[in-house]
Amino acid sequence: MQEPLVCIVDDDEAIREALRLLLYSEGLNSVVFESADAYLAEDISPECMCMLLDIRMPGTDGLELFRILKKQHLAFPVIFITGHGDIPLAVSAIKQGAFDFLAKPFQEGELIRKVKAAIHHFQKNRKALEKRRALKLRVDSCTPREQDVMMLLADGLPNKGIAEALGISPRTVEIHRAHVMEKMNADSLPALVKMITSLGP
Amino acid sequence: MTREFDNHETDTAFDALLEATVDGIIIIDQAGTVLRFNKAAEQMFGYSEAEISGNNVNRLMPEPHHGHHDAYLAQYASTGQGSIIGDGREVAGLKKNGETFPMFLSVGEIKRQGAWRYVGIIRDLTDVQAGREQVRELEEQLFHADRLVILGELTAGIAHEINQPLTAIAAYADAGKRMVNRNSAVSNNEIDSICERIAEQSRRAASVVERLRKLVRSGTVSKGQHEINQIIRNTLLLFEYEVKKLNIDLRFYPLEPLVELYVDEIHIQQIMVNLIKNGIDAIADSGASNGRIEIRVSKLASDVVVSVSDNGPGVPEQYQSQLFDSFFTTKPKGVGLGLSICKTITGAHGGSLTYTESKQGGSTFTLSLPLELIG
Repeated sequence: MQEPLVCIVDDDEAIREALRLLLYSEGLNSVVFESADAYLAEDISPECMCMLLDIRMPGTDGLELFRILKKQHLAFPVIFITGHGDIPLAVSAIKQGAFDFLAKPFQEGELIRKVKAAIHHFQKNRKALEKRRALKLRVDSCTPREQDVMMLLADGLPNKGIAEALGISPRTVEIHRAHVMEKMNADSLPALVKMITSLGP
Repeated sequence: MTREFDNHETDTAFDALLEATVDGIIIIDQAGTVLRFNKAAEQMFGYSEAEISGNNVNRLMPEPHHGHHDAYLAQYASTGQGSIIGDGREVAGLKKNGETFPMFLSVGEIKRQGAWRYVGIIRDLTDVQAGREQVRELEEQLFHADRLVILGELTAGIAHEINQPLTAIAAYADAGKRMVNRNSAVSNNEIDSICERIAEQSRRAASVVERLRKLVRSGTVSKGQHEINQIIRNTLLLFEYEVKKLNIDLRFYPLEPLVELYVDEIHIQQIMVNLIKNGIDAIADSGASNGRIEIRVSKLASDVVVSVSDNGPGVPEQYQSQLFDSFFTTKPKGVGLGLSICKTITGAHGGSLTYTESKQGGSTFTLSLPLELIG
């Protein structure tokens, strides 16, 4: 089990340290970074369970770092720290998938509450995310032809129909199907269909 | 006294002239003794001619001239040096009631058959000086208004500069409270360190307020010794937020070694605020995402030179000659006083302010201030 770790990215030293201390007072570990680039240089993302991110920073700003993290499919929640006039920016960040935002100065207890909610959310969904990643790996282990057969199975086609759709013999479909069931670790057709559906389109 | 002069001086036409003229006229001999004192002079100084005649003219002067006047006369009589004859100047006069007043004095010499007389013609400048002071006051009010307008445009940044320490203070206090309430093992050291950080951030907020208070301050000019790099740093603070928001790469190259100038700190800041704001506006209007502003302080002969360069679109050639004129502006909401005020302030410091195209294609404003003391 990992200790919950919060990453704080803010260019103002006083704010960084105050946030770190506030989280520490609640028994939450954190690491601080003075810029987006300092964060990216550290490769700490696998351990990060929540990020407090200043929206305005010199160089790579908060929104830009957020976009980079999304490209890397990193799923930890990001809470933006915003100033007075930045609420519209914060709202657009939420629309892009940020977990929440905090306007400076923070209300008493607000920061702790939001960080805890974010960590809780991440921990709760982490299993689902890991499951999904594992499932994707299994899909990747199938050959392209097996994947074709799998998709048509999920659409509810019988072996004969799949054979016609792919222009191959029913016997070959039979073999592919057996491989798919084995590689996907599915013990029945309904179980396979459930897996495919959970991955979404 | 020679006869000739007495004859001349009692001439009725001459008396009538002395009587009628609106300027004060005082005639003295070589030793400085008052011989004639006309009606206008009586009104200015509060002495009657009878009262002052036969007295040393230095009675009409405050120090330092009061003590030195006899020596001036003696020196002029023997060497012909150090006189104000033939040329006028502004000096202070001393009235009978002890008050001083500004006056313009021109002195003429009458030399006839070996006897010398000096004629002082005096114009009271009390009203003129009051008028000048009024102009100065109005000018200062205008400078003040310009500072307020710019600060008004920078409100978001100023709020940010105060909000940062307040945010840190609130978070430190929140943390301290939690530590005390939840953890009985919290050490005195930890509490001490939190209090110190809170105090430090309070001072940070206070220093922002203090700087603002200075800029918002109205009233008279006060020159003093100020370090030029520090004046610029104090100004830059106001722009941190705006620069961050527009992602402008602002670089400051201070002068080494440090140099102190005899200037009005707020007025120099006002120039800097205007120049930097212009640079930011130029970049913002051009919509460029790679804005750059460079502020460089250097020493050139007996001047300190501050240049502010941007990579905005620059000033079109047809506008360059009007750039420093009052009410000339290219900004939709501008009044056109900023640069004209900067120029006036620069002039009052004995310096110069010029425009050139920058190497980056934008504008460069160069402020030159003399190193020597300027009144």
